[in-house]
Amino acid sequence: MGFLWALLMPCLVLGASLLVRALISRGGVDPASSGEALAGPALKAWAWAFVVGSLNFSTTSLLNNINLVSKIYFPREVLPLAAVGAQIVDSLVGLAFIICLAPLLGMHWTLNLLWLFPLIGLLVLLTSGLSLFLSAANVFYRDVKYLVQVAVTFGIFATPVLFGLDSLGPTARRLMWLNPLTPVLEGLRLVTSHGSNLAYTVAAPAGGAPYWTPWALLGSAVFGVIVLAGSERYFRAHSDRFAELA
Amino acid sequence: MTDECRVRFDGVWKKFRKGSGYDSLRDLIPSLVKSTIRPKPSELGVNDFWALRDVSFEVGTGHALGIIGRNGAGKSTTLKILTKVLAPTLGHYSTKGRVGSLIEVAAGFHPDLTGRENVFLQAAILGLPKSKVESAFDAIVDFAGVEAFIDTPVKRYSSGMNARLGFSIAAHMDPDVLIIDEVLSVGDGAFQAKCIERMRAFKAAGVAIVFVSHNMQAISDLCDTAIHLDGEVICEGPAGEVIGAFLTSMEGSAQTATGNLASLSVEALALEDGSPARVVTPGQVLTQRLSFTTAEALADCSLSLVVIRSTDGLAVHDSSFQMNELGWDSLRPGITYHVTAKLAAHLLRGQYHFQWHLIHSPTNRWLAVLNPAAMFRVDEYRSYGGVVDLELAITGQAE
Repeated sequence: MGFLWALLMPCLVLGASLLVRALISRGGVDPASSGEALAGPALKAWAWAFVVGSLNFSTTSLLNNINLVSKIYFPREVLPLAAVGAQIVDSLVGLAFIICLAPLLGMHWTLNLLWLFPLIGLLVLLTSGLSLFLSAANVFYRDVKYLVQVAVTFGIFATPVLFGLDSLGPTARRLMWLNPLTPVLEGLRLVTSHGSNLAYTVAAPAGGAPYWTPWALLGSAVFGVIVLAGSERYFRAHSDRFAELA
Repeated sequence: MTDECRVRFDGVWKKFRKGSGYDSLRDLIPSLVKSTIRPKPSELGVNDFWALRDVSFEVGTGHALGIIGRNGAGKSTTLKILTKVLAPTLGHYSTKGRVGSLIEVAAGFHPDLTGRENVFLQAAILGLPKSKVESAFDAIVDFAGVEAFIDTPVKRYSSGMNARLGFSIAAHMDPDVLIIDEVLSVGDGAFQAKCIERMRAFKAAGVAIVFVSHNMQAISDLCDTAIHLDGEVICEGPAGEVIGAFLTSMEGSAQTATGNLASLSVEALALEDGSPARVVTPGQVLTQRLSFTTAEALADCSLSLVVIRSTDGLAVHDSSFQMNELGWDSLRPGITYHVTAKLAAHLLRGQYHFQWHLIHSPTNRWLAVLNPAAMFRVDEYRSYGGVVDLELAITGQAE
């Protein structure tokens, strides 16, 4: 299928999210986001596919290249980061596709689209940090890869992929903000579907946790840096023993 | 060319774990409790063992070090530490310059990539610029002799092809240090010879070589010094001596072997003046006294001597002597027979040993075997290879 693989996963996730929306809006629960432009959900699906692909491939990257790890020396970070890199290439194909379809998806062409760069940068940062940690952990504990599969399967419900925060109640929203991916995904949606400037808070009309706050984005960035630094430390400290255990 | 140290191994210890250990999160929790009483690096846990104990050596430019030892003696572990694949538990090591290596026969190939792609992958890992690899590419493929399959994934290669390509890459990366593990065990004769030749050329060009092999002849051909490793350094020194000592220790257990029907024993191999023969010059006369007894009366027995080059098992002499020539038509129990064997060692440089057989000729059965019955080294500095000293003499005149 070649490069179509790069499109398949985001398309499936997008299809699922449209289905969920249709079902919810028929029930009349969520009038707010039913008429929303498709660009936001499409980018969310695209970002989620990137995260899932990266984590799946990087977690097993060290063990899958056992021949290299146990026979020759090179910085072992290359393997999980290359798995993320391969996903970046795939995702660029998907992004080009979305941009081509932007007029159909109702993209808001404003200067606020510049927010896409820090948002995507943060997405890569968070994913790389996790990938480094998970790939090293999977050498020592072989069941990590199963846990990752479980986590990404259920993670889709703990991350605003299939829905927007504005379709959730206040408690669910507050919990959702604890997820470091939430600001990235919501940011992508607000910027492309609504043309919002992410520097300003969007309060919820009914009160409670806001629909958007720039502080969450900052918190997520700090978290991303800490995860990457911590993972790199963990990786460094344990890379000596990869060849022995692998 | 200055003789600087390229490879240094300084008091290296390496600990491994026996058994499978815990390697799933399921087993993590019980192990966390145990890890609070984890031993210090210098101590052994219940399941730990030392694969290397205080191993030290140095290799300078233009020198070749051979590492020999039984299986599981830590040879590959040593090489893996040298190539940074493993980290030592204690101690230090260092290598200077670019290291070309071939560990455990199959080099670090990615099985799904083709031979061509793997050449470039290896070069990239060694930090060689692409232009340089491109210029050396034809030579690499040509040396390995895998032209026809260079665009086939290496997972479909035979183990010989794998080793050939691996060695060829390591040998064309312009290394300062060459670390080669057992490449000769899978290559065919022609390729082995090519490898040895190539390594000799490297040595002459000042490359430091660390070479592991079970082929003692190859080690003694190539290496100046050798170490016998068995977890720790058992013996080190000139390659010939270390090999001799190693082979003695390997075969020492067979020395007492006797049959049920007869027993055979020897005195030490001696020179004509009665002094023990350990190091011999070509043509020197060696004597050995034997005695044997039998458990029952046996007619038509013979005694045979095999002289074997220890490094490769080549039998350089094999002949038997009928007992009735001594007037002993039948050996009788209760009598000890003494014989003295005398021969001239027309042999060239190498390590040799004796094997004695007492044979019952009618049934062609070995009554007793003594192996090795004697070990000695022939020392001379005229020959480059070969086995037999044919006492070449050249006369000439100029007009």
